[in-house]
This record gives sequence, C-alpha cells and structure tokens, in this order.
Amino acid sequence: MNAFRPARVAVLLSAVVLHGSLFAQADPEIEALREQIRQLDQKLRVLERKQELKDEEAAAKSKAAPKVTASDGRVEVTSGDGAHSLRLRGLVQADYRYYADSANDTPDSFLLRRARLVFEGKFSNLFQFVVQPEFASTIQILDANVNAAFSPALQLRVGKFKTPVGLEQLQSDPVAFFNERSVATNLTPNRDVGLQLHGDLFGERLNYAVGVFNGVPDAGNNVTGSSDSDHGKNVVVRLFATPFAGEADSAFRGLGVGVAASRGTFSGTAGRASGYRTDGQQTFFTYLSGATPADTVAAVGRGTTVSPQAYFYSGPFGVLAEYVVSSIEVQRGTGRVADVKNHGYNLSFGYVLTGEDASYRGVSPKTSFNAATGTWGAFEVVGRIAGVDIDDTVFTGPATLRLANPNVSATALTSYGLGLNWYFSKAARANFNVFHNTFKLAPGATPAPTALIGDDETTFISRLQLSF
Amino acid sequence: MKTKIFLSSLLAATLAVAASAKKIELLNVSYDPTRELYVEFNKAFAAHWKATTGDDVTIKQSHGGSGKQARSVIDGLRADVVTLALAGDVDALHQNAKLIPADWQKRLPHNSAPYTSTIVFLVRAGNPQKIKDWDDLAKPGVSVITPNPKTSGGAQWNYLAAWEYARRKYGSEEQAKAFVARLYKNVAVLDSGARGATTTFVQRGIGDVFISWENEAFLALHEFGKDKFEIVVPSISILAEPTVAVVDQVVKRKGTEAVAKAYLEYLYSEEGQDIAGKHFYRPAVSDAAKKKYASVFPKVELFTIDEAFGGWTKAKKTHFADGGTFDQIYAR
Repeated sequence: MNAFRPARVAVLLSAVVLHGSLFAQADPEIEALREQIRQLDQKLRVLERKQELKDEEAAAKSKAAPKVTASDGRVEVTSGDGAHSLRLRGLVQADYRYYADSANDTPDSFLLRRARLVFEGKFSNLFQFVVQPEFASTIQILDANVNAAFSPALQLRVGKFKTPVGLEQLQSDPVAFFNERSVATNLTPNRDVGLQLHGDLFGERLNYAVGVFNGVPDAGNNVTGSSDSDHGKNVVVRLFATPFAGEADSAFRGLGVGVAASRGTFSGTAGRASGYRTDGQQTFFTYLSGATPADTVAAVGRGTTVSPQAYFYSGPFGVLAEYVVSSIEVQRGTGRVADVKNHGYNLSFGYVLTGEDASYRGVSPKTSFNAATGTWGAFEVVGRIAGVDIDDTVFTGPATLRLANPNVSATALTSYGLGLNWYFSKAARANFNVFHNTFKLAPGATPAPTALIGDDETTFISRLQLSF
Repeated sequence: MKTKIFLSSLLAATLAVAASAKKIELLNVSYDPTRELYVEFNKAFAAHWKATTGDDVTIKQSHGGSGKQARSVIDGLRADVVTLALAGDVDALHQNAKLIPADWQKRLPHNSAPYTSTIVFLVRAGNPQKIKDWDDLAKPGVSVITPNPKTSGGAQWNYLAAWEYARRKYGSEEQAKAFVARLYKNVAVLDSGARGATTTFVQRGIGDVFISWENEAFLALHEFGKDKFEIVVPSISILAEPTVAVVDQVVKRKGTEAVAKAYLEYLYSEEGQDIAGKHFYRPAVSDAAKKKYASVFPKVELFTIDEAFGGWTKAKKTHFADGGTFDQIYAR
C-alpha cells in the first residue's frame, strides 16, 4: 500500500502546480482538469485499497494456516488458532559406568540408560496429553495421560504419570543435578495409574495435588499400566509452596517448600522386586524372596510415605533437599506382621560456574559449544550427600523368621557424590559423576568377600545426553 | 473404607468446585456490521443472566462477511449461536452440515429475525453525483461501493434490491440483468464484507455512493459526522431480515444449550429490542421500541425476498451459486 503513496503525492503536487499555472485560464478548462485529477486520485485510492485487501487476505490466510516449528530439536505442529498442537520431543542418555572399587567386582559397562520419544499436545486449549514410550532396558509406556485444564487452579489428570511424592522423583530426568537420582528416591513411588486433581493457587505461589492411584511399591513403576493387583488404593496429597515466586526483587524468589504424603494398602512383594539400589545401580537391600511362600516377604497391609521437601535457587546456586519416611506392613510366610519403617534423605547442591541461573527446571546456557567461535556452553559443579536407613527389625530374630538376609543386605547406606555437568547447549549435556557409597551392616552380619556390601562402592558414571 | 470416603469426598469436591465456578463462554458468530450492537447486547445479557442464574457468562464475538462466517461454522468453528445477515446463510448450516434442524426458523418469533433493516445509499456531503435512485448508480462515471455477494450477506440484499427495482421498472428479468451488469461495472472495489466496504467508502475516500445496510449508513453518519455524508433513500428497497439460530450440534457438545437459547430469546425482550433500535436496526416485535425509534427510520416501500424471489433458496441458486447471474455479469 505504501508504495502507492509517493505516486499519489506526486500527482497531487502536479495538480497544485497545474492549478496555479492555469488559474488565469477559462473556468471550463480548470473544471475539466479538476475532474481529471479527481479521477486519477480515485484510481490511485482504488489501487491502494485493492492492495490493502490483498495484504489483509494474505495475512488472514497465513494466520489460519497451521504452523510447523522446530527448535532445539523439537518439532511442533500448531493449528492456526493455536488451540491444537502436537509436539515431538525425545531423550537419549548414553552412559559409561566404571566401578573403581566394589567387592563384587562389577563389570564396567557402556549402557543405554534412557531412550524415549515424547508425544505431547493439546486439544481445544482444554485437554493436554502426553504419551512417552521408553525404548531402553524394559520397553514400556512410561507416561500416557490426559490433563483437562479447566483453569490454572483446577486441572484433572487421568492415566499413567508420576506419583506426586518425591521432589527429586518429580524433577525431569535430564535436568537433575546428577545423572542418577539419590538413594532417597528408593523410598518414593514412581509412575502409577490413577487420577489427580491439581493446580496452582494464589498466583502460582501454592501448587497442590490430590490423587488416587492403584499403588506401586517404593521407587516402583506400574510398568505395564495394567489394572490394580489388589483392592487397596493409594491416596496421595502434596502441597508445595513457592511463597516468593514472581517477586523479582526478593532474594527468596527461588525458594520452594512442601510436604507430600501417600497412604494405601498393599499386598504382594514389598519394596521393589530388585530391591533398593546404590548410586551405582547395584542392589544393597532386598527383602527375602525364596522358592516358597514361607521364605518370601510380602506386603500385607498399610503403607505410608511422608516426605518434607524443599529447594532453593539463587542465581547460579541451587540446593535441593528432601527427607522420606516409608513404612509398610510386611509378613514372611505366615509369620509375624512387621511394620517396617525406612528412612531416606538427600541433600544436593549445584553451582553454575559460567554464571547462568540454576533452577528446578534446569540450566539454560548463555552460549552453545562451538569450537569455531570459541564458545563453550555452561559448566556446573554438583555435590550430594544422601542416605537410606533400613529398619533394624527386618534383620532381627532367627534366620527362619527374619525378613532380610544381613549377609547380602545392608542396614544403612551413606552416599557421597561429586560431579561436573557440561551443557553444550540447552539440548545437549555431558555429566561426569563420582559416587562413593558406604554400607552399615546389621549386627552379626558376615557378608561373603564378593558380596556388594562387603566393601564400599566407588563408581564413576559419565553420560552424554540429548534432550529435546 | 477410608479410601472410599476419600474418593467420595474427592468427587464431591470436584463437583462442588465445578458447580461453584460456573463460568460460561459463548461464541456468537455474526456478520460484519453487528459489532457495536452485540458489544452492548452482550453486556446486557450477561447482567441479565447473572441476575437470573448467578452464573457468569462471557460472549465472544466473531464478525465477517455473512457467507464466509457460515462457511467457517460449517468447517468447524464452534459457534454456540449464529446471528447472520440472511436466512440463506443460516440455512446453509442445515443444508451442508446438519448442525441445525430444517425447521430452525420456526423456533423463534418473527421467523427468527429479531430485528430488520433495509438497504439505502450513503453519498458524500452535498451529493455531488446527484444520486437519487437505483438508476443513478448505473450511470457511466459513477463509482459504486458494495461488497462481494459471494461472501457478504449484505451484498446479496444490495444485489437483489437493485435487481427487483430494475425488473419492476424495465419489465423483464433480462432487463434487470442488464441493469445490474451496468451497475456492477461501476463498482470500484469489491470488499468481502459490509464493514470492509464501509472502510473503503468512508475512510479510504473511494467511490461516489455506497450501497449500505441502513444501520451501517446511520453508524457512518454518527461516527464520522453528518457534514461528511448523507443518506439517500431509494424509491424502493428490500426488507432485510437478519436471522439468528442456536447451533444445536455445538451447544449439545459444550453443554451450553440453555444459555445459548436464552441469549437469542433475550433479543426479543424489551431491552434487546431497545438495544437493536439504538444501533439503527428496526425492532421486529416490541411495539414500545418500534414507537420509540419510528422517527429515526425513513419511510420506504419495502418488498420481501419471498415476494420478489420466492425465498432465499431459490434466490441463492439463481443469482449467487456458481454460474449464477452474478458470475455471469461480473466475470472478469
């Protein structure tokens, strides 16, 4: 449209000049010229308007057309009105585990830790969905759920998703300080099938979640997403406050404090089948599981998990802490029912050496690694101390009655971790972590020289991760 | 047992929250010149609904050429109600997508037309081209602004009004077609909707005469000043009956059936009719509103679409369908 304006101005100026020079001439001639100018002006206006209409039509078509975007490896298709979208994301983690010192001489190994494709999207601005298959190790559907967001304060999620208990468990894998979550997460439930009401209140200062799930053992996943194996349901409540969120000038805007609790009845295998693991992902505790029911420990009653939790992020510094108490009523064969109460804790911290802000949702490097331009991305140092204390009652009594074998299971584990994270970009990260785990043995335990708990475990785990 | 109690409480809490936070949203898909009318009417209805039920209702508006708007709804735009320029466009929702029943026009009084209007001419101050009647629009050198009848309901009223004038004056369909062809030869810009055509004439300064909805012409006088434009009332014009309907298939899915129905019914209330008159639409049912605004609207001989063209279905097929008379006279 603007292209025509100079032309119109030129014509009008010419008209003025002509008008002046011909002022003295006869009226009919002036009138004829005036009419000619009027007609020229109209023609130019018409051309301008037609161009304007074409531009409007083109803009409307472009607005209505679906948009395809690709950034940081993500591909997203969004409808013209933005109400519908489908996004494809992915996560690949390739590890190398080196066991520097462990009594059982575990083989060092390359490992594909996670290989996931994430399909997520929304319908009509009301429903969001996530489908996330896992292709590494046990192939399974990790997440498959639909969230109906009636408002930020009232949302209903149905399907399979993370049980809202453990703070570190709820954090996305690729952005955690360490490449393996702390040993405290051994005591919190993982993904389960159920429904959850949740939302943000008071200007996103308080997040709540109330849910009912089939119930999974400590750190367990409902791998198949199948129906409940018992009649009991697990009820979960979590409140997490970020009281200074949104206050840009507050030194505590990165503070979050909360508590989560779950309670339900369980039957079947107590704890997860493969037991509780070290940072090196080796089993340091498991309930007895023998060839006969008399030699097998099973859950037979109420299970409760309580976890106070908090994080604080300020500039490049971040700290995450949680404490977990997990109790479960278990029974060996037809023996006594024991109320076993295990404790876990985790204190992790990180500092981004290159100055970027740390957050619960990860670090966004200011630059991406590029040898040609001399940019290196971001570097972060991390540290952790964590532990699990198993209820001594599982080791008491004669061998025919006790619930765990003291010669293969430790009564406590203390874990120390140090690491360096190199963010090549927002999507690519390398981790270099060293873990040292020490075991406390039950009274009278005489583990074999090759048993894991016979000596401390020191592990180096490196990872190259692509998360988009 | 405790779990069951909890589950019941959770369900009750969900229902309670959902019930207490009843915020309803309606989408009214309308034609171009009704923007101002529905801004005021929506506020009035929201207040009425809140007072009646305690619920909050927000009405979103969508405007464009009437035919184009009908196609958007047929293509999936989730309109709770349509308030379009002509019954033919509303009927397309039944004909093409079965979104409404065949007898939709019988569900509300006055054939679902809560207000009426007609077609007049808007000319520039002083009427430099001496426009008096339809004949003047077909004279050489007169620049006419009217929207595209393929996309605009208002433009179809314009087209049919001109056609019927010529048929009556010159005596045959052929003469009417020749007259309308001459008139459209004078059309400088063919906008997709009435509001765009108003912009072309009023704001962009194009054309000598704008064939306009009566309400749109009054709005132009009101907004831009009587010193800039004049309304010319032709010797004969058409009774334009914009119609309204609840989009059954949408409201059933959204659960907004009751409020959508009440919304349209409120157009027939005293307040609804008064708001229509205030925005230069002729109230269709309220005697009080008719009396109040009688002096605003000029007297003009009006014919109906049924009398002159045998109804919208026939008129659309003859004149505006692909290959119809408009395509024949306006082929480029």
